[in-house]
Order: sequence, then structure tokens, then C-alpha cells
Amino acid sequence: MDEQQNELCCQDGYGCLPACGPLANPYVPFQPENAAIYEAPVALIRGTLFPGLDLPFMGLVNREEKNTPLGELMALGFAMKELGLYLDTHMNDTEAAELFEQYAKLYQEGQAAYSAQYGPLLQSDSVSDGRYHWLNDPWPWEYEGGAE
Amino acid sequence: MFIYEKKLEYPVKIANPNPKLASIVISQYGGPDGELGASLRYLSQRFSMPYPELKGLLTDIGTEELGHLEMVGAIVHQLTRDLSEEQIRTDGFAQYFVDHTVGVYPAAASGWPWSAASIQSAGDPIADLTEDLAAEQKARKTYDNILRLSDDPDVNDVIKFLREREIVHFQRFGEALQLLREKLNEKNVYFMNPAMDV
Repeated sequence: MDEQQNELCCQDGYGCLPACGPLANPYVPFQPENAAIYEAPVALIRGTLFPGLDLPFMGLVNREEKNTPLGELMALGFAMKELGLYLDTHMNDTEAAELFEQYAKLYQEGQAAYSAQYGPLLQSDSVSDGRYHWLNDPWPWEYEGGAE
Repeated sequence: MFIYEKKLEYPVKIANPNPKLASIVISQYGGPDGELGASLRYLSQRFSMPYPELKGLLTDIGTEELGHLEMVGAIVHQLTRDLSEEQIRTDGFAQYFVDHTVGVYPAAASGWPWSAASIQSAGDPIADLTEDLAAEQKARKTYDNILRLSDDPDVNDVIKFLREREIVHFQRFGEALQLLREKLNEKNVYFMNPAMDV
């Protein structure tokens, strides 16, 4: 990215375009650095970490955060993955890289704590006390109502 | 390689079976603008991408789309569990049931089986990324239409999440095109094919 794009040229939800661009090319404004972000639990239910990209259909938005242990873990994982996509196109944004690192650490800790209590998320963590727990129900697509 | 993590990207908890709605939502599993096509499109296109940002973005979005495929399959599965005799005769679902019972099969809502003809891997980064921009908009449109057709709050909760992801992916593909443009001949980005000629 050139210096011009690094400047915060617009309010949140807007991005930078070249003042003069070659013809016959499609343009999507580049998201500036230092964009506002949601807290992870809100990001999960809104489907994006970035308020500037949160563009719902007909005003339909989710308002109830996922307050279960798995929902909280999903929120950390989602914030990390969303920052990962952002960094794929903004690899020199050091602040975002640091935030990614923080969420990655929180996610790894949360994943270990969740696995210890509710069962393995990774097959590599599935043996404890000499027993294989990978096959324990429920699987992620199963829901009978009321259960976590 | 891929390693399975035994959880969904976002919770899918559908309280009430609804076979008619399942026969609509299935389109995002195996329809022309669905998640199976999305994941295979990006995970296939990445092989001919010339720059690290493009290889990384297609890998990461393609991987996320596999997670979305799993979520859409979970919606269809939960909408079709414990069906009554009367429910399996629901118009719109009986036609699916006769071939697939309550298995999850990659097909469009119209019944057309998933086809690689609905995606492209052109081996030309500008053509591929421009297709990807269109693909995200077409998937967003399908989720908009599901929100119009569905009044199930549990399903709509998930659909709103999946729809918003299409918008974020569109943004990232647009930025990827700009990064590509900066690496090419600024006066004529079509001067050569960077998948072949750099």
C-alpha cells in the first residue's frame, strides 16, 4: 500500500480510492487502518469485527450475544479470523497484527479450557486418562433443543 | 492440509423443524451461488495466484467457506429432524425427500445438483478475482432472499451472520484486486498474465 492509502482520508465506513485510476478496472475503496472495531461478542453476532462494514439487509440485525461457553469461544475465534482476513490485505498494519496476536492467545487459552471441560475440539487433544473422547456426542451440527 | 475443529464458526440451534424452509435453505449448500461452490472456487483458484497476499486471502476465505458449508448443512439437518408423516409430504420438500430422505445433498432449491459449471478457475488473476467479487454479491443476494422467505428467528439469526460475511469477503477481494493492480503495469494491467508471465 502506498502512503496515500495509509492516511485516514475518510470517516469510518468509507475508504480510499485513487484520485486518478487507470480505465477498465473495478475499484473497491481500500479500508483505512485504525478502523473502529466491535468487541468480539458483538462482532460475532453482527458477522463482522468492523462497524464500517456492518451493512444489514432491511435493518435486520442480531442483538442477543452468544453467552454460552462455546459462544464466547466462537467470538474469540471469529475476531481472530476476521483480523486475519484484514491482515491478508493490510500486512503492514502493526496495530492490527498485535490485536491478532492478542486474540490468537485468548483463543488458544479458551480452546484449552473449553476442551478440558466439555470435550476435545481437536483430535490431537482427544485422549485423556487413557480414553479416546473424540467420538463423544454431540457433534457440531446436532441440536435437540435446550442443550449447549 | 486441513484439520477438523469440532465446532461451528457460529452457533446453529434451530428449535422447530420446518421441511419447507429446509428445501429453500439447501440452495446455499449446493446451489449455483452456494457455499460448496464458494469454497471450491477459491481453494482451486489459489493455485495459480502469483502473490502471497492473493494466495493467503483465497486460502483463508476458501477455508471459511467450508465452515459456512457446514453451518448451512447443520441448518438443513436441524430443520428436517423428527419429521411427522404429514411433514414429509410438505409441498416443496416431498420432491427432495423421495430421493434423499433427510440426508443433506448438494443441490439447488430447484433440485438441480451442484455443478462445477457454476464456478470458474480461469488461471488469470484479474478474471478470477473479478469473478469472486460477483460470487460474493450473488451469495449475498441469496441470503437476502432467504431472509425475505423465512420467518424462523433461529434460522434468520444464522442467515444474517452468513450474509454479512459475503460483504466482508467482497471488501477483501476488492482490496486484493487493488494490491494486484499495484504490482502490475499501472498503465495497462492487461499487458500480460501474472499467473504465467512473472
